Parts: sequence; structure tokens; C-alpha cells
Amino acid sequence: MTEVQLDLTVNGRRHRLSIPAHYSLLDVLRDELELTGTKTNCLEAECGVCTVVLDGKSVASCTVLAAQCQGRQVATVEGLAEGAALHPLQEAFIEFGAVQCGYCIPGMIMTAKAFLDENPRPTRESVREAIAGTLCRCTGYQKIVDAIMAAAQRLSQQGERA
Amino acid sequence: MKLEFLAPQTLQDAVTMAKARGGAARFIAGGTDLIIQARKSGAWPEAVINLQQIPGFGEIKGTGPNFSLGSLVTHRQIEREIRFAGALEALRESACVIGGHQVRNVATVGGNLCNASPAADMVPILLCLNAEVALAGSEGRRVVPLANFIEGPRKTVRASDEVMTEIAFAAPAQKFSSTFLKGGRRRAMEISIVAMAGVVSASPDGKMTDVRLAMGAAGPKAIRLTEAEKFLEGKVLSKDVLEETGMLAAAAASPIDDVRASASFRRHLAGVYARRVVELSWNRISELNDDRSAA
Repeated sequence: MTEVQLDLTVNGRRHRLSIPAHYSLLDVLRDELELTGTKTNCLEAECGVCTVVLDGKSVASCTVLAAQCQGRQVATVEGLAEGAALHPLQEAFIEFGAVQCGYCIPGMIMTAKAFLDENPRPTRESVREAIAGTLCRCTGYQKIVDAIMAAAQRLSQQGERA
Repeated sequence: MKLEFLAPQTLQDAVTMAKARGGAARFIAGGTDLIIQARKSGAWPEAVINLQQIPGFGEIKGTGPNFSLGSLVTHRQIEREIRFAGALEALRESACVIGGHQVRNVATVGGNLCNASPAADMVPILLCLNAEVALAGSEGRRVVPLANFIEGPRKTVRASDEVMTEIAFAAPAQKFSSTFLKGGRRRAMEISIVAMAGVVSASPDGKMTDVRLAMGAAGPKAIRLTEAEKFLEGKVLSKDVLEETGMLAAAAASPIDDVRASASFRRHLAGVYARRVVELSWNRISELNDDRSAA
């Protein structure tokens, strides 16, 4: 038995897959489910571009064995928007010009998503610490931190209205 | 590549599966080291045995002075553990510099110890706390001091069918504090150039006592700095005392040259960090006690 039968829920949709046992969660997302919003880069948990949210926590999907995700919930950047309405994090990244080449952005946004879910009222310093594992080599972090702070504010306002 | 994935539900099954495959299977916890190593070398084991579904190894137990970490406790759990805030802060400081959130949410303390990297960041403070690790295998259970568990780079006394189940330690009896410092080029996702942990106690007459220092990434395995510890016993903090501590730490280092740093820079950092760890720990003892009297 070298194939693993995997039951995985991604962005609310349940998938039943048969995958090679050595596949990472990143392999499954990109190659099996064709969710290529999650990027591939260092493959050794250095850069954070492959970050997705697994059961509410950010993980580097390149170093998570897919077979260990049996029955678990994954959120990727593709699942953030609701129809045409972007998530406040996505809106803020656009508004603050926090994106240049864009390669790190899906990972950056999912890192921020998991962080804000746990810390709805962050400080700038705690945001910087939260994204320390996700590298951007072009925009610089100032605008990214600005965007995450703005999104945090909008999300908490939305929460209060709801 | 024909990797087999095994998912035992009990410790006994995990041990039996490993025993049946001789040394050809590897246990997998968070997998953050195993997957990278296998992918880079192209040498996957014949099978991986998933420990994540076995209940009972994911908790931090104890209210002090005795504590135990289940081997599947993640670095994120340690970093956020309120019982380690204060005197045992070095445990949180060690955990919170490992990887980024993405790695700490997954990587386990048992994995960090079993992987036995000379730069493993949890090892120095656990050496200072005289931690003991519990192993369960086909020959039964045993408890091994962490200092004897790790033999060298990537080498431990663990048999291939033994699972690490917990890591136990006791806080010192007198007023104490602890510190961990890590040297690297970046504050996240970084392999340490030098790591230094210290536990310092204060005797009733205001002198340093029961000083414990441990250094990682400056030799084939993390070690206690016994010469510096002996020297510091009964001393009062001074510039000269710190100077001598730094020299003893640098002398105990046997670092390598690699892409991250030269051996001479590592030796230099060993001295600097030993001084800082002792000074910070000493200052923290009075801060902790001031806090308590203020509250």
C-alpha cells in the first residue's frame, strides 16, 4: 500500500483522494486539486510562500505530509473571497499597495488570516512577529504591516456590527 | 518511490509496526525535519509511522516544581504556556525562535530532540533543567537523561522501535530565573549560529548559586558549560566575573565553519552570549521578585 486514501476538506469542499504517501499538503493542493494560488518555492519551510491554514492554524504546506491531514480542514487563498466580495485582508493589500511581484502574497495573507483570527486587536509589533516566517523580497514589510493593521480594524468593526 | 504510510492508533501498535520493519521505518510527528531531509536526500524511509493519532502525548503537565512535556507538544504550545511565564521564561524564549508560526504550529518538542540537530533550540534550556526523556519500545520503557540521550549530530541512544513519550524536568528549589538567546541572521526560520541558555539561582545571602549554562550550535552536540558553572558558584555579578564567564564559554566551544558563520565568529558569540545570559538571568531574578512583592 503506497497510495493513501485521503479525506480532506479544502475551503469548505470535501475531497476524497488517492495520493502517493510522500505527497506534501502543497503537492495535493497544487497538483491534485489545481489550487495554484498557494505557491511553491523553497520546499524547506524557510520562506512561507506555501502557507495555508490547517484547522485554524497557519502551516507551511511544503513540510506537512498530506497523509497526516486525514479528515482535516484546509483554507487557502482561493477560499477567502465570498463570490465577488474580497476578504478585508485582500482589499487592504490592494488599497495599501502591499503587493509588487505578488509571489509571497497568498502565503502572507494566509499567515495574517490565521494570526488575526486568534488576535483580533494586534499591535504593529505583534504583526511583524506573526509574519516573520513569511519572506517578501520586493515590497518591504511596511505596507504589508499597514494593510494587515487596517484589515484587523475592518474585521473587528464588521464583528461588532454582526 | 514507494513510501508506506502507517497510522497506528495506540503506542503499542506503533512500536510493533516499527519493530516489524527493523530500522527501515521512521516515526513521524510534525514532520518538519523528516520531510525536508527525505526530499533533499531523495532517501525516503520504506515507511513512516504517524504518531499524531495516538492520544495522550500532546499535553504539558504539572504545576511545579515538576513538569512534563508530552513528546507531541508543539513549540507554539510551549511558547504560549502561561506556567512557563516568569522564572521558566527561557522555555518560551527557546520555543518562540524556532521557525515561524507556520513551523511552530506543527513541529513538536519530541521531534526537535529526536532529530538531534546540534542547533536544536529546545535542547540547551532542557539540559539546564536536567530534563529526562521517557522512551517506550519493544524492550519496555526507560528513562534517559537528555544529556545522555543525544550522542552527537543526528545521533541518539533511541532504538528504531522506541517512541519518545515525554520530557520531564523540575524547576530549581531556590529563587531562580532563566534566559535563552539565539544568534542568527534573521529572527525567524533560522538555524542557530550559537544558542545559549542559562538558569541562575540566588542564595539567601545574595550570591549566584546553582548556575547552569548550556550552549548549542557550537559543537557536535549541545553541552553544559561545566567550567563556567563551577566558576560562577557563590560569585557576585561583576564585570570581571562576566569576562571570565565569557572566556570559559568560548574555550568550551568546538564550532565548525559553515555557510552560516565561521568557527571563530561562533566562538566569539559563545563568549558574548554566555555573558549576556548570566547577566540577564541575574537581573531577572530581582525583577521577578519585585513583581511578586508589588502584586
